[in-house]
Amino acid sequence: MPETTAARVSVSLSNGFSRRYTGGKRDFEIAASSMREVIRALDAMYPGLGEHLEEETTVAIDGEIHDQPGYFQKLREGAEVFFIPKLEGG
Amino acid sequence: MNDVSTTRYKWVGTRPIRPDGVPKVTGRAMYGADLTMPGALYGKVIRSPHAHARIRSIDTAKAAALPGVKAIITGADFPDHKFEYIGPERVAVNFWHVTRNVMAREKALYEGHPVAAIAATSKEVAEEAAELLAIDYEVLPHVIDVDEAMKEDAPLLFEDMITRGIDPAPKKPSNISKRLEFAIGDVDKGFAEADVIVEKEFKTAAVHQGYIEPHACIARVDPGGQSEVWTTTQGHFVVRAMVAKLLGMSIGDVRVTPSEIGGGFGGKIPVYLEPIAALLSKKSGRPCKLTMGRDEVFKATGPTSGSSMWVKIGATKDGRIIAADGIFKFQAGAFPGSPVMNACLCAFAPYDIENARSVGYDVVSNRPKSAAYRAPGSPISAFAVESVMGILAKKLGMDPVALRLKNAAKIGTTMIYGPKLAHGGYIETLEAVKNHPEYQKPLGPNQGRGVASGYWFNGGGESSANIQINADGTILVATGSVDVGGSRASMALMAAETFGVDYDQVRATVADTGSVGYTHVTGGSRVTFATGTAVVNAAKKAIDELRARAAMIWDVPVDGVVWEQGCARPASSNVGDFKPMPLKDIAAKAGVTGGPISTAASVNAGGQAPGFSTQFCDVEVDPETGKVKILRFVAAQDVGTAIHPSYVEGQIQGGVTQGIGWALNEEYIYDKQGRLDNAGFLDYRCPVASDLPMIEPLLVEVPNPAHPYGVKGVGEVNICPPMAAIANAIDNAIGRRLTELPMSPPKILAALDEAAD
Repeated sequence: MPETTAARVSVSLSNGFSRRYTGGKRDFEIAASSMREVIRALDAMYPGLGEHLEEETTVAIDGEIHDQPGYFQKLREGAEVFFIPKLEGG
Repeated sequence: MNDVSTTRYKWVGTRPIRPDGVPKVTGRAMYGADLTMPGALYGKVIRSPHAHARIRSIDTAKAAALPGVKAIITGADFPDHKFEYIGPERVAVNFWHVTRNVMAREKALYEGHPVAAIAATSKEVAEEAAELLAIDYEVLPHVIDVDEAMKEDAPLLFEDMITRGIDPAPKKPSNISKRLEFAIGDVDKGFAEADVIVEKEFKTAAVHQGYIEPHACIARVDPGGQSEVWTTTQGHFVVRAMVAKLLGMSIGDVRVTPSEIGGGFGGKIPVYLEPIAALLSKKSGRPCKLTMGRDEVFKATGPTSGSSMWVKIGATKDGRIIAADGIFKFQAGAFPGSPVMNACLCAFAPYDIENARSVGYDVVSNRPKSAAYRAPGSPISAFAVESVMGILAKKLGMDPVALRLKNAAKIGTTMIYGPKLAHGGYIETLEAVKNHPEYQKPLGPNQGRGVASGYWFNGGGESSANIQINADGTILVATGSVDVGGSRASMALMAAETFGVDYDQVRATVADTGSVGYTHVTGGSRVTFATGTAVVNAAKKAIDELRARAAMIWDVPVDGVVWEQGCARPASSNVGDFKPMPLKDIAAKAGVTGGPISTAASVNAGGQAPGFSTQFCDVEVDPETGKVKILRFVAAQDVGTAIHPSYVEGQIQGGVTQGIGWALNEEYIYDKQGRLDNAGFLDYRCPVASDLPMIEPLLVEVPNPAHPYGVKGVGEVNICPPMAAIANAIDNAIGRRLTELPMSPPKILAALDEAAD
């Protein structure tokens, strides 16, 4: 696993997601410079969580919505990341 | 008609004639029911006549013995699936449910629920065989209304369904599939500090998407397992995935080709006929074609949820909203999965409110399974919230636009679902309405004016595009997006702009699942944003290749070639004295410079910006008949950049029209046995041209920096405001607040009678 030199980003889960997977803990401070690193860090804390995040969430990075968290998404210093339940349109 | 985008680009923002127009108006376009194959069988679905019944047995022997009958299937012929929710929460797919909606097994859960299907050599034989099927039902008590379905003693659709989202989990089963809650701040504290509080209950009817073209498909499964499906759908890749999953096939063995589509609005995302046609073909060894009648469309597809809601908003005397609360109970239909989560997330989204909560309930009842419908969920909660906003404005003595401007969400506003809003656009729609010359115009007797706003997320996600440069310099653009609202023209415009060539040089097509990379559905207002990004990326790759070919022709390094206005040009005079080389000339030398020039691009597009709309309407209420006439409808919408403004205006006019129908006339009417009484367009009253004034779209352009041309989705948010705008206008006209949709003449007369009492 590569060493990260990233600064910290704040990561939040929805109520329902935290109830199901993290014993109610919603907010995290994580050292990460990409969404790949965020997912990996959360999966290390709660094994299996990474796959749920990838499959079941839409992600807001600094308020900007992405249909799916992607390994390729870069994060700025102090970025705000929210995992929210996935949306569907008509 | 707005003049937009004309100064920034050559092609983006122009209004060429739609490429699919001539085939459609001359009857040559091929829709779902037009497709056939040699040797195709006639397929017929046998549907439950009961709203709720246990299927004791189905005896197919007599029907199967009828000459000309080639296959009969029931639910037992489909592989069963594990009971588990897989995938995203909003669209958590439980294939145990999906396969039972395609064809009932233990119980029929709504009138029209498929219970068997027959493939025969003719319609007459299939219908005769249907009469010979012996289906033994045990009719059970049913429940239609959402509030009734939530009662403890309601008939249960699933005897073991325990509500998800409640901790600790309830011990007793119910029809409530799920409870969810989103909140920010301290709602109780907010209301304690409010000077003015408005709270109200609302109900909305289930309404159908109302597409003109019924569902239709044809499928062929070869003995070797390879299969093809031709169908009318909003997402042929989804059809491929669902058919493969429901029939236990591999995705690689299923190829799906979409027909032209006669409307979808979300209702042509689920699969209904395709797995049945494929299984009938597999069993009979011949292609099988299935087409729904209009009554089948109404009874067994769509609609969107009806609802029961409560909304409370508190504000200070000067109009600052400090607390909001809402409970949204949605009919999911016979299986879990209403759009109630979207309703919760969108309900208060237009506003910057420190303390807010929305609670949702997903409730099953003996109706067809709800399907997506244009901004699914958001129009329903918007009806309640925007109606309360209308009451609040009246109570505060404020202009309704001024109240909204004072509380408008803007970049940095914390949303109820957690993050801060990253895009503006709402305030600009409010300003557009405020500055409209008709907004302050005096009204006559029995006339009223109403305002409402709406919010929708818009979508992004996975899309693919291929580009081919032909020998004569024409360009083919193929995408995986079904063209529901003019996307072929939009894709061609973006490609022409990127290449710097004339629009007429570009042809855009919709490719089947075997010919282009995975592309998610045409829905969620995602195509122009996500598929458009794939097209631009593929075009940029092609331009790089064209530069490389020109460099080869000129014998210069590729860095010495730039691309401008449709031509390769030397980057500077140091490169050499070359005349600009048009795309056509480079294409003509493709053979000697390396072969055909074609590129492909796939994206998972993110950074889509949400859509905001603010609308006002003027109505006149006839006090004798209760009829509401729409006199004027003005709809402002932030569209990012309008790639083809006529199509964008069409989306706005279409969304408003559907909203007017939802507001005034459309509803499912059930008899005492739970059977639908109005399963046809004569009795299910959609608005027609003579019901409507000219709907005036106001295109507000706040470009989205995450798209090469600033695109935001435009297809859905326009349906969110009309119901509340009309309710607010009716209140302004007759001084009576209607809280139940549709606001049909009997309800208007009843409200007027109450006033007289």
